[in-house]
Amino acid sequence: MEPSWSLPLLSEILSAFSTEDPENLRNVLNRVAESVDAEVAAIICDGRIDWCIGLSAAEQGLLLQTAAAEPPELAIRAGRLNAFWASMGSNDRLMVGRLGLAYDLEERSLLRAMARSIQLSLRLLAAISSERQARLDASYQASHDPLTDLPNRTLVLEKLSGWIDNPPQDGDQYTAVLFIDIDRFKWVNDAHGHAAGDEVLVHVSVILKRSVGPNDLVGRLSGDEFIVLTRTPSAQACTDLALRILTAIQTPIQVAGTELSHSASVGICIADPHDKASSVIENADMAMYEAKALGRGGFALFEPRMRQKAQERLSLEEELRHAVGSGQIEAHLQPVVRLSDGKLMGFEALARWRHPDLGLLSPAIFIAAAEESGLIEQIDLIVLEAACQAVGRWQRLPGLGHLRVSSNLSGRTLGSADLVAHIDPILAASGIKVAQVFLEITETSLVEDIPSTASTIERMRQLGVQLAIDDFGTGYSSLLYLKRFPVGLLKIDRSFVANLGSNPDDEAIARAILSLAKALGVEVVAEGVETTTQQEWLTDLHCAYGQGYLYGRPKPMAAIEADLIKPLGPGTPLLDGQRPAAEMIQP
Amino acid sequence: MSEALSWVKVGTSTDGDIATAFQEALAQLDLPGLPKLLVVLAAPRYDLGAVAKGLAQSLPGCPVIGCSSSGEIGPTGALTHALVLWALGGSGVRVSTGLGETNGQGLRQAASQAAQCLNQVERRDHTVLMLLSDGLGGDQMEVVRGAYDVAHAEVPLVGGCAGDYLAMKQTQQLHGERVMTGAVVAAAISSDRPLGVGVSHGWTPVSEPMQVTGSKDTLLSSLDDRPALDVYLEFFKPAPEVQQDAKAFADFAATHPIGIRRRDKIEMRHITGFDAASRSLITVAEVPQGALAFLTEGDFQSVLGAAADSCQAAIEALGGSEPVGLLLFDCVSRRSVFSEARVQEETDLITSCTGGVPMGGFYTYGEIARTKGAGGFHNQTLVTLAIG
Repeated sequence: MEPSWSLPLLSEILSAFSTEDPENLRNVLNRVAESVDAEVAAIICDGRIDWCIGLSAAEQGLLLQTAAAEPPELAIRAGRLNAFWASMGSNDRLMVGRLGLAYDLEERSLLRAMARSIQLSLRLLAAISSERQARLDASYQASHDPLTDLPNRTLVLEKLSGWIDNPPQDGDQYTAVLFIDIDRFKWVNDAHGHAAGDEVLVHVSVILKRSVGPNDLVGRLSGDEFIVLTRTPSAQACTDLALRILTAIQTPIQVAGTELSHSASVGICIADPHDKASSVIENADMAMYEAKALGRGGFALFEPRMRQKAQERLSLEEELRHAVGSGQIEAHLQPVVRLSDGKLMGFEALARWRHPDLGLLSPAIFIAAAEESGLIEQIDLIVLEAACQAVGRWQRLPGLGHLRVSSNLSGRTLGSADLVAHIDPILAASGIKVAQVFLEITETSLVEDIPSTASTIERMRQLGVQLAIDDFGTGYSSLLYLKRFPVGLLKIDRSFVANLGSNPDDEAIARAILSLAKALGVEVVAEGVETTTQQEWLTDLHCAYGQGYLYGRPKPMAAIEADLIKPLGPGTPLLDGQRPAAEMIQP
Repeated sequence: MSEALSWVKVGTSTDGDIATAFQEALAQLDLPGLPKLLVVLAAPRYDLGAVAKGLAQSLPGCPVIGCSSSGEIGPTGALTHALVLWALGGSGVRVSTGLGETNGQGLRQAASQAAQCLNQVERRDHTVLMLLSDGLGGDQMEVVRGAYDVAHAEVPLVGGCAGDYLAMKQTQQLHGERVMTGAVVAAAISSDRPLGVGVSHGWTPVSEPMQVTGSKDTLLSSLDDRPALDVYLEFFKPAPEVQQDAKAFADFAATHPIGIRRRDKIEMRHITGFDAASRSLITVAEVPQGALAFLTEGDFQSVLGAAADSCQAAIEALGGSEPVGLLLFDCVSRRSVFSEARVQEETDLITSCTGGVPMGGFYTYGEIARTKGAGGFHNQTLVTLAIG
């Protein structure tokens, strides 16, 4: 026997939902209306019509006006609609309107059942969709960088493996990796805050996406490291792409109200068949280091020798880390004298690495690695502590209370938020006269106007420590910071001193620095004084202090004490563990 | 003498040469004035583009829509491999045409786009939206739904799906001078005089009712949880070649459609082919999953009787006005039931019902007639548009 006509129609509505197909769902209202030969069907919720078929916009407005009363009839242009209203939960209602013929009992039952089915199905579908979306989101988040929305390391490696394993059919294309690193990105972060840094990263991600082809892949590995995967017919095409990227990145952008110019360095590696994806990225990373070493803002193609170089760099960094932790970093002191009478006025403290196999190493060998690895912060503090302890003790000797010490702080150390927290106990423990401690920084560190630096310097001012500007005249030579910060000392760069007596331009610069310092009440030390001619020139120019080989090379503290302190004061040794004279650097 | 409020003229030709056929059909039109709409119905052997170009030259400015067909109808009755020009004019008639293509969008959107011509036509007392679509282009229910989104309850829909003489390869639609595939073309007709739509079929369920347990879009995969193709073949036991040859299957299926139980009627679905791999039947419009379905068969007398019903219903819908012309959308499967030898009997019956007013039309892959309710896609049906 044929079942009731309405049951299969209800089954159709339920089937429309069971397919979970949005296109199918869209037709649900049509199916409801078609099931009872109605012209109009609408879902009304909280004073608005969510879905409607069969009514013009004007008629829908009319329906809304009267919906609250659920009228059994509605007049539309085509005639009088018999309206059936069915609840779909607390807020939603289904209205089905038919011209001419009222609904019989079976039709009303069918429509009620359909309304209830739609209500339940929509809830179920919403729950399913939400669950599915959550899973998709989780999978997306696991493979994408949240800031730039680019594929992350995991996905980049996965894609690169796929590219290497499935080379293009035509055989004329190679898989290449471009490793892009933003030059001096940390400075952007420190100078303008992390929000500005993030803006730069997003900007670079946009530039990269615009620069590459439709089938290339751009990813972000971490921090300021980006990756481009590309299929390339030649190394030339790849370097062309690198150049396009470098040019685009160099365009200044507005970040945090400032126009920022930045550059990037690009390392390129072309993958061989069967290469591991991680190795190809490592190779591109090494090429990027090479590009940076060649002067930033450029690119380099990977060559096998770079791996050796990288291993050396890594090994140097590891050794340096060990050196910092095991007391191999020493402070050596170079005397500073008063030019008018040659009196010892104090010292500049300089870092040296006493390598167990290679002997004493100068900063030229390890400072770059120290900066790169962040070890410079510890090295600066080790040198400062040793120097303060020694000079503090010497200050307590009769006639030596005037001794000063200056110690270098790198820009990275100066930017460290907890620098003052480290310096304060060092000064306290050494008993040094704080007003005679100068922290030597470069002009660049100040001109970059890092907010965290400004606050650090302010707190150092409160401690009573003064700043010495190293290599003055070679950088920005902005006068603003001389006024803004507690600068007590300018150090004329050795390049100007070297030519005194032979280069009128350098003489003019030295004269200008001295007159500027005099006007501001800041003292001046001339660096790199090596000859008596230079000394005489500086004396004539009324430069108060000098430092250089003419007065002594940097030496270990034991040697300084033996050679310079003891002759001035009582004979009691002040330092423990003096080293044999043979190990000292002789002037 | 002033022009009549409405008139219909029809010209036909079966000449194999396109230029001759066009000139012959055009001459037969014997137009009293520039038509407000010209509908071109052409067998696939005619180049629709060439016909459109000829019309643009002969009747510049006349709106033209049309499609390829699976058999044609002229004033003298059913035709084969013919060209039919159906012209509508009159001082009380206003027409606007539209088109929607499925490139990058669904059929529903394409139909809504075509139906926008309703918003351009100057509205008179009576309006109807005529649609011609690609019968092989997907679920034709979507065409009705898309057009209904624009026409709403107020405007009846009428029309049919283009065909290709059961080759089931490609159909064409015409708008102006553009010939397309996968498109919906439409004409909004508004008239001072009544317009009537009649619809009827004459098919009888021959199987027990079955539930549609698997179906999506135009693929009917299972009936009562069994592969739909197996159920179909087991029931009808057609000749072996029907089970192997696509053309033989299409011919057989034309007279053995699926019926779906509706509130107070059986709605027919034309079967166009099968998918051997999934043992599914391919239909011209969706057979909704969950529905109650029957296998049906057309018998000569009931199908013939329906033709008279459809025409009479259309004429009655004119409310007493005399018809000036008819446009018929007749399912290709009905032609198969009549067979070529007796196909003329259907059109003779129509002529006797309508008193010989000019008529034209074509055999379709699906018919559109919405006068009540929101649905209106049919198969195995004769849809009549009577112009009052």
